[in-house]
Amino acid sequence: MSNWTDVAAEADLFEGAGIPVAPGGRDIALFSVEGEVFATDNLCTHGNAKLCDGFVEGHEIECPFHQGRFDLRTGDATLPPCTQPIKVWPAKVEGGRVYLNLGA
Amino acid sequence: MSVSPDALHWEAGGTSRIPFAVYTDEQRHQRELERLFYQGHWCYVGLEAEIPNPGDFKRTVVGERSVIMTRAADGQIHVVENVCAHRGMRFCRKRHGNATEFVCPYHQWSYQPDGTLQGVPFRRGVRQDGKVNGGMPADFNPKDHGLTRLKVAVRGGVVFASFDHDVESLEDYMGPTVLQYFDRLFNGRKLTILGYNRQRIPGNWKLMQENIKDPYHPGLLHTWFVTFGLWRADNKSELRMDAHHRHAAMVSTRGSMGQASGQAAQVTQVSSFKESMQLEDPRFLDIVPEPWWQMDDQMPTAVMTTLFPSVIFQQQVNSVSTRHIQPDGHGAFDFVWTHFGFEDDTPEMTQRRLRQANLFGPAGFVSADDGEVIEFSQQAFDSKPQHRALAELGGREVGETDHMVTETLIRGMYEYWRKVMEAPEKCDGGAA
Repeated sequence: MSNWTDVAAEADLFEGAGIPVAPGGRDIALFSVEGEVFATDNLCTHGNAKLCDGFVEGHEIECPFHQGRFDLRTGDATLPPCTQPIKVWPAKVEGGRVYLNLGA
Repeated sequence: MSVSPDALHWEAGGTSRIPFAVYTDEQRHQRELERLFYQGHWCYVGLEAEIPNPGDFKRTVVGERSVIMTRAADGQIHVVENVCAHRGMRFCRKRHGNATEFVCPYHQWSYQPDGTLQGVPFRRGVRQDGKVNGGMPADFNPKDHGLTRLKVAVRGGVVFASFDHDVESLEDYMGPTVLQYFDRLFNGRKLTILGYNRQRIPGNWKLMQENIKDPYHPGLLHTWFVTFGLWRADNKSELRMDAHHRHAAMVSTRGSMGQASGQAAQVTQVSSFKESMQLEDPRFLDIVPEPWWQMDDQMPTAVMTTLFPSVIFQQQVNSVSTRHIQPDGHGAFDFVWTHFGFEDDTPEMTQRRLRQANLFGPAGFVSADDGEVIEFSQQAFDSKPQHRALAELGGREVGETDHMVTETLIRGMYEYWRKVMEAPEKCDGGAA
């Protein structure tokens, strides 16, 4: 699929937190949980914080500013003060590279 | 540890001769804030109608402390102190607004409308080169670091708050006598906000309480009242007080249901009377009696209620308002008027209330005079604090009367003031 964009090397990811990537000027955070890759918009829907600097707890990302949480699989806000969902992007790993479907 | 102000000399023993020093000493002013505003008293903060929707808020004060009256998502009203739990900043700058949360701009600490701390940036530190640096201590619990919450009481759409969570009930605080005048005005109908006046008066805050406990001056100072027939010292009247003599109601009933006539024969003959003056727009005195004025067999046309220490509730014919006294040091206060009406008012009645509101506020035909006399009194107090004022009209005692020719309410207020302010030091300090 031509929509898949190479955004990072899988080796750049690590467990517990995210890394920021900027395909096409977008601000996206990549996370690795038990070997699976997830991508969300990086800017929290609540405060003016970068989720890549947060803390991964299970399949949730805890925002570094106000400790609200989102589910990395669905983008649902799971803990206040976050109430608005975060956008999630389809991600896959091929040949040691991370690809996002930015058309999604 | 507070510093005790110098002892005052009360000539004649009681409170009929008031030392100028009660208005001039900054240490005494700090003690007033502690003992009269922050401990053991209820202060006015606003009207429910000012924050009708979830998330609405209004910034105001209790004494000299900035507070925010909020309405949470569940409709509950809260009053929280506008002091960030972190570095103490007065984070809320807007006077009115709507918000789902308050965020201090300094370090982005975020609070719910009820004051609960939601979270703090970098609580768990910041990751750098695979290592997490800093962060709050492991035992940091946001529940311990919310905004200071005040005790809140709402009655008849009026919101009061107290830093003192052990304060008596609002109803006990007012006492049954004053409560009946409060309930007459705020009788359960929804209020509507017509507008605000704000003014800075360069005088001690107590002078405004005294002004509305002084039925001696209206027919003498306020030429407008006299000239256009709204005030007569021989109106049927009553002066009522609570058991502590701190609150009061000045109740007066004009003949012909409050309709002003402006006839020479019907007004008090004082030098300020000018028979030849005519109103360019007579609608300022288009007075229409309202059913809620009725109390037993009386139909008071004006009831001025002083609720110590922070507020005055006004009914002057069809004009109704709250007047909030907001001290700023011993020598000044902000005076904020909220003109309101009732949900069931006709458009004509709303217009009438708005027109009559021109008598009041900083440039009001009547009330402009009060701001000036308070300023000029304060100037004299500051220049010779060892002197004293006189409040001996009607005698030197304190008691309710059925006439207006007395300064008994002022003597009563200072009787209470002395009881609280001259009590031993143990009352000081400790308010949240």
